[in-house]
Amino acid sequence: MIKVNTEDYPWHPGMTVRNLLDEKQFTFRHIIVRVNGEFVSEEDYDKWLIQDGDDVLVLHLMAGG
Amino acid sequence: MERYLRNHDAISESEQAILATKRVLVVGCGGLGGMVIECLARISVGYLRVVDGDVFEESNLNRQLLSSTMNLGRPKVLAAQQRIMAVNPLVEVDAVQADLAAENAMELLAGCDVAVDCLDNIPARLVLQQAAKVAGVTVVHGAVAGWLGRICVIQPGEDLLSLLYPNPEEAQGEERQRGTLSFTAALTASWQAAETVKLLLGKPGLQGEILEVDLLQAIVRKLKIS
Repeated sequence: MIKVNTEDYPWHPGMTVRNLLDEKQFTFRHIIVRVNGEFVSEEDYDKWLIQDGDDVLVLHLMAGG
Repeated sequence: MERYLRNHDAISESEQAILATKRVLVVGCGGLGGMVIECLARISVGYLRVVDGDVFEESNLNRQLLSSTMNLGRPKVLAAQQRIMAVNPLVEVDAVQADLAAENAMELLAGCDVAVDCLDNIPARLVLQQAAKVAGVTVVHGAVAGWLGRICVIQPGEDLLSLLYPNPEEAQGEERQRGTLSFTAALTASWQAAETVKLLLGKPGLQGEILEVDLLQAIVRKLKIS
């Protein structure tokens, strides 16, 4: 089990950041991902392996006023 | 005073008197700023310094409370000043028609108890956070994109915006594709105003948390980030 934006989410071996974003349907173009507080850049989404117990924060980049 | 009858007892008479002594900087008088100013003027914060270098355009009419077909092409800060004076002449207004930048940020923050970030671009938001850190002023941040809104409170020395904006060279976010909607701006701004009043009155509020509102999914989520 992992945490995604403070909520429990089932983990599976080999789960990448890209897998998680696809499963959770985060389809916006501007996304910020942090795993255990560490920023994950977009080019690493396919190779960054999420570990069981990780705390993942997924935020939309927004700055409108 | 009859004007404040309906504030009581959510805001006590002594708290009302405290608010009258407080000074708030509102940076940006657009979708967020217009509603923040409306709320703070009606609850009667004693002094509002409102800052914006822009004039109203037709594309503002979908959401910006202070805009109307009558004031297109006119400075936003003048509309803000007129609105405050019309709603509550007890509030002292300092209207500054300028864009916030590193060169004027400290001057704009001077003497203010709280700064409300109602800006519409990332570089200026980062400038405000940095200047507020130096000035020792707490910032109430708000941002919107489409149906999404976000609010957080940044104490001096905290760097929450680097979490939200990891690439400072990007000027805008999802709002470029998704626009900004009237109710999203109004809700987010109202929440910013509430957090501002809580700060001014010493009431507990958001701390090390991001409040996210998704009006399409009808979800409010509070994320711990420190």
